[in-house]
Amino acid sequence: MIAVCLKWTAAPLDGGSTGPDANDDRFAGVSPADRAALELALRLADVRHTSVTAFAAGPVGAERALRDAIAAGAMRAVRLDMAADADSRDVAFELAQLLADATVVLCGDYSLDRGSGSVPAFIAHHRHVAQALGLVAIDLDRAAQAPGDAVIHATRRLDGGRRELLEVPTPCVLSVEGSLATLRRAPLRRALASRDAEIEVVRTPPAHHHGAPAIVTPYRPRARVMSAPEGDDPLDRLRRLTDAGTSTVRGETVVLEPRAAAERMIAALRAWGYVT
Amino acid sequence: MADDFDADVVVVGAGPAGACAAIELARSGRRVVLLERGPFPGSKNMYGGVVYPRILDELIPNWWEQAPIQRWVVRRSTMVLTPTQALTVDFRTAAWGAPPYNGATAYRPDFDHWLAGHAEAAGAQLLCSTTVVGLLRDDRGRVVGVRTDRPDGDLRARVVIACDGVNSFVAKQAGLHPPADAANYTLGVKETLSLPKEVIDDRFGVRGREGVDIEILGGTGGVNGGGFVYTNLDTIAVGAVLKLPKLAAQKKRPEEIIAALKAHPAIAPLVEGAELKEYSAHLIPEAGLSMMPKLVGDGLLVAGDAAAMCLAAGIWLEGVNFAMASGMYAARAAIEALHLGDVSAAGLAGYERRLSETFVLKDHRKLKRAPHLVLSDRVQHMYPELITSVAERMFRVDNPDPKPGLRRIVTSERKRLGIRRRDLARDGLDGLRSFG
Amino acid sequence: MLCVIPVRDGALPAGALEAIDECGHRTLLIGQQVEHAAAHLSGDVLLCEAGAYRPGAWADALARVLTDEAIIVLPASPDGRDLGPRLAAALDRPFFAAVTLVTERTVVVPRDGGRSMHTMPAPGGLVATLQVGVRGSEPCSRERAVRTLSVDLVEPNAHAFPDARVVEVLAPDAATVDLAEAVRIVGGGAGLRTPEQFAQLADLGTRLGASVGATRVITDRGWVGHERQIGTTGVVVAPELYLAFGVSGAVQHTSGLGHPDHIISVNVDAHCPMMQLADLAVVADANEVLAELLMLLSTPADGGSTPADGGSTPTDAATEQQRG
Ligand SMILES: Cc1cc2nc3c(=O)[nH]c(=O)nc-3n(C[C@H](O)[C@H](O)[C@H](O)COP(=O)(O)OP(=O)(O)OC[C@H]3O[C@@H](n4cnc5c(N)ncnc54)[C@H](O)[C@@H]3O)c2cc1C
Ligand SMILES: Cc1cc2nc3c(=O)[nH]c(=O)nc-3n(C[C@H](O)[C@H](O)[C@H](O)COP(=O)(O)OP(=O)(O)OC[C@H]3O[C@@H](n4cnc5c(N)ncnc54)[C@H](O)[C@@H]3O)c2cc1C
Ligand SMILES: Nc1ncnc2c1ncn2[C@@H]1O[C@H](COP(=O)(O)O)[C@@H](O)[C@H]1O
Repeated sequence: MIAVCLKWTAAPLDGGSTGPDANDDRFAGVSPADRAALELALRLADVRHTSVTAFAAGPVGAERALRDAIAAGAMRAVRLDMAADADSRDVAFELAQLLADATVVLCGDYSLDRGSGSVPAFIAHHRHVAQALGLVAIDLDRAAQAPGDAVIHATRRLDGGRRELLEVPTPCVLSVEGSLATLRRAPLRRALASRDAEIEVVRTPPAHHHGAPAIVTPYRPRARVMSAPEGDDPLDRLRRLTDAGTSTVRGETVVLEPRAAAERMIAALRAWGYVT
Repeated sequence: MADDFDADVVVVGAGPAGACAAIELARSGRRVVLLERGPFPGSKNMYGGVVYPRILDELIPNWWEQAPIQRWVVRRSTMVLTPTQALTVDFRTAAWGAPPYNGATAYRPDFDHWLAGHAEAAGAQLLCSTTVVGLLRDDRGRVVGVRTDRPDGDLRARVVIACDGVNSFVAKQAGLHPPADAANYTLGVKETLSLPKEVIDDRFGVRGREGVDIEILGGTGGVNGGGFVYTNLDTIAVGAVLKLPKLAAQKKRPEEIIAALKAHPAIAPLVEGAELKEYSAHLIPEAGLSMMPKLVGDGLLVAGDAAAMCLAAGIWLEGVNFAMASGMYAARAAIEALHLGDVSAAGLAGYERRLSETFVLKDHRKLKRAPHLVLSDRVQHMYPELITSVAERMFRVDNPDPKPGLRRIVTSERKRLGIRRRDLARDGLDGLRSFG
Repeated sequence: MLCVIPVRDGALPAGALEAIDECGHRTLLIGQQVEHAAAHLSGDVLLCEAGAYRPGAWADALARVLTDEAIIVLPASPDGRDLGPRLAAALDRPFFAAVTLVTERTVVVPRDGGRSMHTMPAPGGLVATLQVGVRGSEPCSRERAVRTLSVDLVEPNAHAFPDARVVEVLAPDAATVDLAEAVRIVGGGAGLRTPEQFAQLADLGTRLGASVGATRVITDRGWVGHERQIGTTGVVVAPELYLAFGVSGAVQHTSGLGHPDHIISVNVDAHCPMMQLADLAVVADANEVLAELLMLLSTPADGGSTPADGGSTPTDAATEQQRG
């Protein structure tokens, strides 16, 4: 069995803002990364002649994600009954209990709200299996050639635009980026049928962990320490590579009609010597 | 004939028309599938302004206790603008602020979502992110279902109800539409501006859930049309309904016209300091009756904007209520036809009968001339000037001269503006016929 | 506080120096040729030669020797993000991902796609990864005191904590080199409405001699390959000029941006971080500005520069809305 873990978030950031009503799930959904994970699970299941089971830990609302998964081709769907804001450690632990007979567990590389990317790693820890996180490619042809093969060939992102080719022994946990694949469209009848497809619900024990109460503020760049003077000894090159971002608030703000805006921008580019 | 149908009825489009059709059908125990191209009902739909949901009394008793409305319209003003002047007729009634209410401002994504929810609750199968791309016909050309953009996307049904909005794709496919003519459409453009609730309450002189609906004549910068200002809880909608040909001819961008409207001395104080939340534009079928398609075909009904059942006569901007009603009546006709086992055009004819017996077509007949009149060059460009300057001279005190009589003022101003008495008389008569 | 740094062939990962600074220069290097990697470091340095990268085995081994280290910080580099949560799990401690600040007392975690910051009291023991590029780093005068630490790793073939095997490390994708080394970059974000509008960026790019980059939202939509994604989980760039169209400037994006000499940002939201970073912040519709720029920059020869065929005609605008 191939498992895919889908996280239902109240309002995917790509989807706009939720209305005043708390159980308004119009904009809720799963991340592009999770959708890519589902698509790859389906493709992988195809070449390995097995089936996909979709898991989601969350409140009843999460069942919509599971129905969509069934519509797209998942065979089974399981919801772990947990709070929407359950701690990643509890989520991963409870998921791990149900993933015993999964040869491959597919996850998104990070969820939209929490964005820690830790659940897949936690699952790998609890299951004592190999992990490959933040994949940008999974070699399905190789998988097709040797369906029974006990390794998955995948490509993972490293820093500086480098990538590494991995041989991941199964069973394993893989997390993928959203750009890896777009989820197939569900066939009409499956889509209609999925509305009353059966969703298995698993009760879970009360939460072990509770995140500390947080003070929430809008994002502000952190003040940066002066970086070392330019130079060409390795340290400085390294520092320039690893350094990034800046917090100095500078420059002017203009509100303009499109045409005027374009002219203003070109004027600036000219002044800075980028265009003549 | 073997029942290889997936549903009794497929409703295309989960706007007000589609939702109401689906509610009625599902409650009659019919298998109904409601297809919507957007990710959820209302997502694709322009934030409407004021809705008049009284027709819902028939579908959702005490709808006002649960409908996601913003404010109840208790003030309705009609403004006549010239570049520097404004004459406002301002009507206010407490009655509209209490059940059963009259009009309300609402966000379409909220309203449509809520309405479609009732259809689902009644047992209709709502399927979103699904676009209808064609009609299925049998060997005798009768409509027997739809083709969607999904894999294996054919859905067979005895009756298809097209509620897919302005210049309906489905109705066109069925050959029911007269060839689309730009002159028959107006462009609706709208800005949603956010302001604190208290500020809106003060500026518009309302409290709690009370709201205001201002229709505007003139002030659309030489482009024939009308403007509007609606109050939501903590946003204001400022928009204009614009004649397409003129707009193109004037090489004006709709957003420029809204900007000008917002800058008018009579409007500016209302929207001052507001932050732009969103801008949207949408076509409106404006010519009413004159462009209504055939509403019925074999196995096919057309309702709402898809049937051009939108009343956009300058100061009138009603469509949601016509959509809801026509959707409901289409459903009743379908139920009747399914019951009698005849879904041919003849079997579905009950639809047109219902429409003509009710406000839906009555209003349209009554206002047949209205759009043409209200959007005519004289009404648009000369009368505002005439009305406001007459008012100006009525109210102006220039002693020692004595006050001139009204008739003298009107005549002299009419002459000054070069309006022929004959035209004025005829337009007046047309006006009486339509609005009187 | 201790900074744990996974090392490959003697090279420090992105963000290593910042993480080391954040921890007051108490560092543990684990991996391959750690001694070489330590060459430029100062302060206390623990060297742990452990061969090729193996998150499962390393986390298991480190957990056994680091139980007394209350606060453990890794750089939020790909390997840091990979090893961090495994280490936290092995130590059974809370894990804080891509924090923008961590001290004995507080951690600050970006949430909701970098739109909000959650400030929390630091629990007794924790593992965190520090967002790359949020604080910068400065040379430290302290003496280097190097010790070696030996950990016993489970056998690679042992089934206790199996790991993936690295077959090969590929140099930067040809498709990204231009981006990584570009002097000028035009970047597009979710403010661009359609794939077509995003494609216009490429035209602008060619006219300005700039490479095209994108935000995560755009690559996730598949409008352009992931190799064009700028940011911590994408390509880290260092251009002189950055033009941002409809980019909010989430920390995960800007931290991969280097520090350009000039930034122009076009956005309808005058207050978003990208606008604050900009030398010229233009409050306008990026889609329309893009169209206007292309006309202004097109040579008269290809006749694009008449205002008439400029922005969308009403009917276009309308039908556009129809399509949604
Ligand atoms: C600027 C503006 C202001 C307005 N103000 C008001 C007002 O104040 N009061 C008022 O009563 N009316 C107003 N109207 C008119 C009103 O919006 C319409 O008359 C009303 O929405 C018609 O409802 P409908 O259900 O017929 O069509 P719509 O509301 O347009 O619904 C059509 C639905 O069908 C879906 N659809 C379309 N094609 C397909 C397809 N091929 N497959 C599947 N689904 C499809 C669409 O996504 C949409 O959800 C306004 C209109 C505009 C443009
Ligand atoms: C672990 C992790 C790693 C990540 N790595 C990366 C990464 O490497 N690179 C990356 O880019 N992101 C990354 N992200 C995602 C990041 O948090 C943001 O979600 C993303 O950068 C936002 O992209 P955006 O600015 O295009 O979209 P949004 O944040 O949605 O911003 C869209 C912007 O467009 C503006 N806008 C809307 N309409 C218009 C218009 N008509 N004209 C002009 N402007 C308009 C809006 O005001 C807004 O500012 C990561 C997130 C996490 C949690
Ligand atoms: N509550 C959950 N239910 C199912 N899967 C989850 C849940 N939370 C996280 N995941 C999976 O773990 C990935 C990373 O999430 P996170 O660790 O929260 O960033 C997600 O993309 C999902 O695949």
